[in-house]
Amino acid sequence: MDIANAGYEVVVVERLPSIGGHMLQLSETFPTLDCSQCILTPRTVEVGRHEKIKLYTYSEVESLEGEVGNFRVRIRRYPSYVNWDICTGCGVCQEKCPKRVISTDFERGIGKRKAIYTLSPQAVPNKPVIDPENCLYFTQGKCRVCERFCPVGAIDYNQKERIFEEEVGAVIVATGYELLPLTELGEYGAGTIPDVIDSLAFERLLSASGPTAGKILRPSDGKEPKVVVFVQCAGSRDPERHMPYCSKICCMYTAKHAMLYKHRVHDGQAIIFYIDIRSAGKGYEEFIHRAVTEDRVLYIRGKVARLYQEDGKVVVRGVDTLSGRQVEIAADLVVLAVAMVPRPETRALAEKLGLRLDEHGFLEEEDRNFAPLESGRPGIFLAGAGTGPKDIPETVSQASGAAGKVLSLFSQWG
Amino acid sequence: MKKMARIGVFVCHCGFNIAGVVDVKRVVEEIKKLPDVAFAADYKYMCSEPGQNLIRQAIKEHKLDGVVVAACSPSMHEVTFRKAAASAGVNPYRTEIANIREQVSWPHQNYPEEATLKAIEVIRTIIEKVRYDESLIPLGIPVIKKALVIGGGIAGLTVALDIANAGYPVILVEKGEELGGKVRRLSGLYINFNAPDGFLEEKIKAVMEHPNVTVLTRSEVKEVGGYVGNFIVKVETPSGEKAFDVGAIVVATGFDLYPLQALGEYGGGRYPDVITALEFERMLRDGLKRPSDGKEVKSVAFVQCAGSRDPQRHRPYCSKICCMYIAKQASLFKQKVPDGQALVFYIDIRSQGKKYEEFVQRAIVDYGVLYIRGKVARVYEEGGRVFVRGVDTLSGRPVEAEVDLAVLANAVVASPGTEELAKRLRVATDAFGFFQEAHPKLRPVESLTAGVFIAGAAQFPKDIPETIAQASGAAAKVLGLFAQRELIQEPTVAYVVEELCSGCGLCIEACPYEARALHPWKGIATVNVALCQGCGACAVVCPNKASRVRNFTPLQYLAMVEEIAR
Repeated sequence: MDIANAGYEVVVVERLPSIGGHMLQLSETFPTLDCSQCILTPRTVEVGRHEKIKLYTYSEVESLEGEVGNFRVRIRRYPSYVNWDICTGCGVCQEKCPKRVISTDFERGIGKRKAIYTLSPQAVPNKPVIDPENCLYFTQGKCRVCERFCPVGAIDYNQKERIFEEEVGAVIVATGYELLPLTELGEYGAGTIPDVIDSLAFERLLSASGPTAGKILRPSDGKEPKVVVFVQCAGSRDPERHMPYCSKICCMYTAKHAMLYKHRVHDGQAIIFYIDIRSAGKGYEEFIHRAVTEDRVLYIRGKVARLYQEDGKVVVRGVDTLSGRQVEIAADLVVLAVAMVPRPETRALAEKLGLRLDEHGFLEEEDRNFAPLESGRPGIFLAGAGTGPKDIPETVSQASGAAGKVLSLFSQWG
Repeated sequence: MKKMARIGVFVCHCGFNIAGVVDVKRVVEEIKKLPDVAFAADYKYMCSEPGQNLIRQAIKEHKLDGVVVAACSPSMHEVTFRKAAASAGVNPYRTEIANIREQVSWPHQNYPEEATLKAIEVIRTIIEKVRYDESLIPLGIPVIKKALVIGGGIAGLTVALDIANAGYPVILVEKGEELGGKVRRLSGLYINFNAPDGFLEEKIKAVMEHPNVTVLTRSEVKEVGGYVGNFIVKVETPSGEKAFDVGAIVVATGFDLYPLQALGEYGGGRYPDVITALEFERMLRDGLKRPSDGKEVKSVAFVQCAGSRDPQRHRPYCSKICCMYIAKQASLFKQKVPDGQALVFYIDIRSQGKKYEEFVQRAIVDYGVLYIRGKVARVYEEGGRVFVRGVDTLSGRPVEAEVDLAVLANAVVASPGTEELAKRLRVATDAFGFFQEAHPKLRPVESLTAGVFIAGAAQFPKDIPETIAQASGAAAKVLGLFAQRELIQEPTVAYVVEELCSGCGLCIEACPYEARALHPWKGIATVNVALCQGCGACAVVCPNKASRVRNFTPLQYLAMVEEIAR
């Protein structure tokens, strides 16, 4: 938006069918508890209708040639099996599609979608894609219900991958993060305990437009959990087994999770295990204080050693390092603040763009202190959590910073 | 007698978002019966291309002169629909949104009958508004493509260079003798211990030699007038007062440390060997000699959160950067004095940043810095030694350390003069005197005053990489502004009905944007349309209904209320 508003053309390449990223999955945001979708969707809509912005969603960068001022990008667009030029986004196909699939990505396994779907109700662009791995026509050769009901004949089962070429003067890489998969966390049940979920799944439970319409219901039996344990640093600050680094944002979102849980389940108990509380940001310390004093969230300083299932409960075992005693809590639901890791595609992309990565696969800045937006390759800039964990304000400032670098460059060329 | 009109009403289903609750067909039937509704229809997604076409076609076929789109919040698609209607010949300001999603279908999901009735009522009301809407033309305001940057530290230097490199002139005003700010006073930086000197000198040189930058040191901004794109700034310089016309202002005034004297419990200001971390930075550069007797420092106690995270006595917030610079100082001290002892008292270790956690681990494992979890209760000097007393909250036992020197990580506070500067700029500050950003999430580098931006620790404590990234962000906002040929201002601003105005001045007091003034000789109030944001505060206080907002007039509101009351 910053670049387009300055009058230059922007090409946005997004891997998913629609723009908005992880922020669209969030319920409310700390420390103001603004509804995430309410503040983000006006911006995605603005991007979608901006005359200077060209969107390539469901696409990835195939290759990049040339140099600053004169890059040639090849973009691979995956087949959506829907002709987006004529699709009106009416949604009939999704309504009629008989195949329900558990949405592992957007809904984090908590909710379902159809085999033809958009990521969220206010997706930009609001055009569906068919997931050929689950579509009955692609897997069994019959059905074609969407084709039959589509009022404009937009379904196209024969659509092929397409390659587009664009010429650009500068590139910004803003590929973001992913959460460490639960299966990596053996000590916490390795994803086999249904009532042990990650923080993004909990966001979906909290979200008013999520699969439970904002009701806190645990996955195993759909009951409202009365004791919820939040485990911070799940996979972070753990050089022996997992990631040595701190994931930066978990302290704050966990406090928010516990707070929102208490707002929804008044007689519930929220317990947080932490090593250090890291609330360094404007209004952040005060936010934690509010969670403790007003919402009576219980903070226990200590790392959780083990989780296991027993009698319909999840038993949480750890040590309270302030009293030095062992603690054992029978929880109804456990939410893990899982380590943030780079998107798996970052490595391949970095190779295509000729960028350096650190040992964890995050994009490397030209200089950590003095050139945090430059990639080391002239004309390519970095923004957001692709370089390492960042919260929303930091990401937004940094993204504007990267835009500033591009504008500085473009203005010189006139 | 009501004004005649030919209004078209377009009811959106928003998939099931609206149609799943509100009976849209019934809404259309009811609305069609109303006088002056020349056309009404519903559609699945009005914002889609076919939906917009429906509006354009209806405007032409039915000769509509006003449009009501009953759909989602105006913050989503008002612009979309205004553009669509304008392309078919209806003035965009005669196109209004009736919000039947956020205000009807979403909050009343379980009451479809009542929701449908409410939707009809909301639409009827908006029809009355459109009936009296004027056709307006957006205002164009010219932009002076020159920026003022206040503060010559790392944030200000970065902003100035980014803007100057893009080809625009910049006035850089610095209160002190020289550029470079706090970074100039630092020894090595985390996380690589490199001294900042080379980089800083390079940056200062680039600024000083840049043909687009005018550097004014020992200077202060004394007066700010005007508005976005057209500020008039008076700067007091050693060679007298100078005035500049600028289009944008970036505040990069940095931070200061909470005064040592205010930290009585730590002996701040009383004992020479209790110093601030910035003084210790100097010692790391110039030699580790004790201030009291010049003896070599062999043991240091670092006290974190000195004045931070202390809502009872000092500041409630966390100062963000101390955990990291203390780990760095302790490591640097151990590099220089390998047989020395470094103790760090902390509450939580906040090493959030790329490679920061690893950096603190190195301080502990490789440099042997001893971390003690607990807040320090007292620091005192006796017999030439410094004693630091606290509780180790992990063992639950009291600890007392005897050291040569105590280094306090004083809270980071707003730099002196921020309050006055904020007033001159008409920019808000927060409870602790830092500049307030427009939105904590999505507009972190903008102030709520159009054309004034914020960079660096003036907004809140920030470390170097964050400051630099954010400073470039502020520069981007300025460059975005300068890229406009003229600023488009919404024409829905206040105006004065001259024959009704008594010149009482209530509107001038009520206006939060300083857009109102008394005419020098006519004795009536005036409106500066470039400053007016159309908030309507003046219209509310005006006893004579002389101050009005375009397309939000009393006539319109009475018609709308009448429609609800019917």
